[in-house]
Amino acid sequence: MIPFEALLPYGVIIIMFGVAGTGMSAAKLLREGGNKPRVHRDAWDKMMMERDMRLTKEYRKQSDEPIAPEDFKTSSVWRASRIWDD
Amino acid sequence: MTTSKTNPREPHAQPYYITDPTPLPSHIPSVPEIGATSAPLLSASYFIGARCAPYNEDFMLCRSQSRSGETDCLKEGRRVTRCAISVLEDINKSCQAEFRKHWGCLENENHDLSRCRLDEAPLNACVSKFLNLTKVIPNSDGTPINDYETPSFFQKKVKAKYEQ
Repeated sequence: MIPFEALLPYGVIIIMFGVAGTGMSAAKLLREGGNKPRVHRDAWDKMMMERDMRLTKEYRKQSDEPIAPEDFKTSSVWRASRIWDD
Repeated sequence: MTTSKTNPREPHAQPYYITDPTPLPSHIPSVPEIGATSAPLLSASYFIGARCAPYNEDFMLCRSQSRSGETDCLKEGRRVTRCAISVLEDINKSCQAEFRKHWGCLENENHDLSRCRLDEAPLNACVSKFLNLTKVIPNSDGTPINDYETPSFFQKKVKAKYEQ
């Protein structure tokens, strides 16, 4: 019969893996508002997520209103490069 | 910001962000923008396509034929927006619970439609009953999605569960 003290290190290792995994998963869920994280984001997904942010002002919050708030019409952001005139 | 003359090693393209809070000029008729974010829009996309196909095709044709793209096709674009808003209003009026369940599932599953079929089936049934809009895959033979003649095993299971 193995003494229980010999199995304690295994318990410690399993608990530490469990805590690390649970903590990572909980941190991700907290960030994404209860959903699984988005993966394989392409340019389309990034564009749509930026539009979502402009509509709802929160990361990954969705809304199914048919009509947007009035400030959405003028809240677009364009990325530009600076041209030096020299 | 230093110019390239004083610091030749600086990269020449430095992105910065432009915002423009001025509204459109008043001679352009104002139309409300669509307030749906990405997941509800994806969920309703086939129904928007079913109802708004003529307006959407008009806009795409105009844009491809015009020189300056969307600025020549504002009228067609307004029609597209109004039609999509009408579809979203109708779905919210009659099928809101199924709609919210489906786009909630999509938002959880990386916007992958194939992972949310169980929530899509009652939405398709409700929308085809109340709005007469059926989901049809483009470039296919045009069968409405709920009416396959020889459904797959999974579709039979879904059908059996939701048509009790």
